[in-house]
Amino acid sequence: MARARSMYRESSTRSDTSTSTSPERDADLDDDNDSIMLQTNDSQSSIALSTSTDMDHDAQRRLIEERCRVCPISRLPAELMIAIFAKLASPADLRSCMLVSRDWARNSVGLLWHRPQTTKWENVKSIISAIRRPDSYFDYSSLVKRLNLSALDDIVSDGTLQPLSSCKRIERLTLTNCRALTDFGVTPMLQNNHSLLALDVTNIEGITDRTMFTLAENAVRLQGLNITNCHNITDESIQAVARTCRYLKRLKLNGCSQLTDRAIMSLAVHCKYILEIDLHGCENLEDDSITTVMSEGAHLRELRLAHCTRITDNAFLRLPSEAIYDSLRIMDLTDCANLQDAGVIKIVHAAPRLRTLVLNKCRAITDRAVMAITRLGKNLHYIHLGHCSRITDTGLTQLVQKCNRIRYIDLACCTNLTDNSVMQLSTLPKLKRVGLVKCSDITDRSITALSRPKQLGQGGPVTATVLERVHLSYCTNLTLAVSNSCPAPYLC
Amino acid sequence: MAANAQPTDAQPKITLVSSDNQKILVDRDIAERSVLLKHMIQDFGGETPDQDIPIHNVNEVVLKKVIEWCEHHRADPPATAEDDSDNRKKSTDIEEWDQKFMQVDQEMLFEIILAANYLDIKPLLDVGCKTVANMIKGKSPDEIRKTFNITNDFTPEEEDQIRRENEWAEDR
Repeated sequence: MARARSMYRESSTRSDTSTSTSPERDADLDDDNDSIMLQTNDSQSSIALSTSTDMDHDAQRRLIEERCRVCPISRLPAELMIAIFAKLASPADLRSCMLVSRDWARNSVGLLWHRPQTTKWENVKSIISAIRRPDSYFDYSSLVKRLNLSALDDIVSDGTLQPLSSCKRIERLTLTNCRALTDFGVTPMLQNNHSLLALDVTNIEGITDRTMFTLAENAVRLQGLNITNCHNITDESIQAVARTCRYLKRLKLNGCSQLTDRAIMSLAVHCKYILEIDLHGCENLEDDSITTVMSEGAHLRELRLAHCTRITDNAFLRLPSEAIYDSLRIMDLTDCANLQDAGVIKIVHAAPRLRTLVLNKCRAITDRAVMAITRLGKNLHYIHLGHCSRITDTGLTQLVQKCNRIRYIDLACCTNLTDNSVMQLSTLPKLKRVGLVKCSDITDRSITALSRPKQLGQGGPVTATVLERVHLSYCTNLTLAVSNSCPAPYLC
Repeated sequence: MAANAQPTDAQPKITLVSSDNQKILVDRDIAERSVLLKHMIQDFGGETPDQDIPIHNVNEVVLKKVIEWCEHHRADPPATAEDDSDNRKKSTDIEEWDQKFMQVDQEMLFEIILAANYLDIKPLLDVGCKTVANMIKGKSPDEIRKTFNITNDFTPEEEDQIRRENEWAEDR
């Protein structure tokens, strides 16, 4: 072993001379540290192994060698120390690392301040006071990448944000439900921040176009925007955002009933990378914007249009006739009450890989639409047909036979359905949840079948049901006995 | 030591030369656990190179240890993007064999980490980093210094300042 040890030393010297001058440079390259921070604090944070021209090279080599013998961990370069610190989940551990030595402090500070703990008001005050200190040991404000104040939503005010507005490298800013905030506090947070990737201002009525214009001017890398229930943001500022934030991928505009087709069409035309758009309750939207979102959104995966009550079949019938939207997996059309069979048929043709389709309260649709949905085949996992009260056992039987991978099906208030439908459901091998609220014709007979073990194929193995939950409220023909005898939890 | 002394006959062999000029014969698929070596081998046009491959930064003892790890993990499926995001969850769980493998003195531990980094063997680097992280977890700054024999080069004022500026960092 003695021979081996002398060799480690030899090799370690080699690896160390290559790293001895590099910690500062490595830190520079690392995203979490930055040059400004290191420059401001250069006088305080001595670089232990800095090269000195007049120092005899051999003497320096011996010094490094000795240091690595005494303290083997010092041979790891900054990048590897950072990789180790990155494995520490607890901020308390990272804080302990910061207090070990100057080298350790420099390599751990970026990780500790990446996402400061802002779940307690005391902590936020302490963070703010460190950021405000003119002679702080590190320039903490440039290290903060994620800031989430939603846990303190009822305390956070514009005054809270004011000192935090020096953090110009925030990538994710989450202010959900901080209702006291206004443009006055949020705008300075966005000014000169060109790193922002995601902004969440859900339920902050005080946010207006002013904040959105500032966002448009600065956040050129923005990918996620959530302005749910921000009723004072208008088409004008959303159009500005659409023109400059070209990399937007995820948009939540829920409840922004003031927005019109102008805003949504701008987004669709300019932002080519949209993956998910949620327009829940944007009641002013009409067919044109939806057609454009689909026809321009080559990557669109998720389209949520719940309660966009003005939408008609034309939104889909006007799509280019042969166009296929292969990426689209999730579509929510809850309460798009004008939607009829023709619209659903077109949707299924245009988006053949839909996995989740919600047609809850699309009351006009009939078995014709259900027959079209069967084209989705094994792709369909989740189907909501609640209140589609025109559909019958005929449609449902076809659906179950063609789409045998269904895991979740809701048929609430489909009052035409009988035991025949439920018997069909009992053949679905992967069925986990069923909603049958107010399906008043169904009886104990089919519910018993539903919870029976299943046979996979003809003569195949018998497996226990994977059924997790069946909603049976107001199924007036059921007796209590049946719900007690079944393994899955029944909600009556 | 590792089974690499008698590689199986079915596999093409590669000769690695450690920094201290020792030749080690390994199966090609073992060598290719190292992304660095994999690329070097690809540079030979996909043919198994018949010339020696020098590993300048790793000595024989460490190289054999690294090969021992690669042999044990030779059948591991390649890491996926999901694994990577799992790692982000900062788990410091280490499988039992790896834990035993990493029960070495600190010099060897850090040599393994440096070698894994140089040879670009991500899963081994990951195990090494987790091992060190576990040596840090739950310790006070002073206990950490003792564990790794680190000199405190802060002035008392600096130490106090850092403590105050980071007092918000608590256990999650």
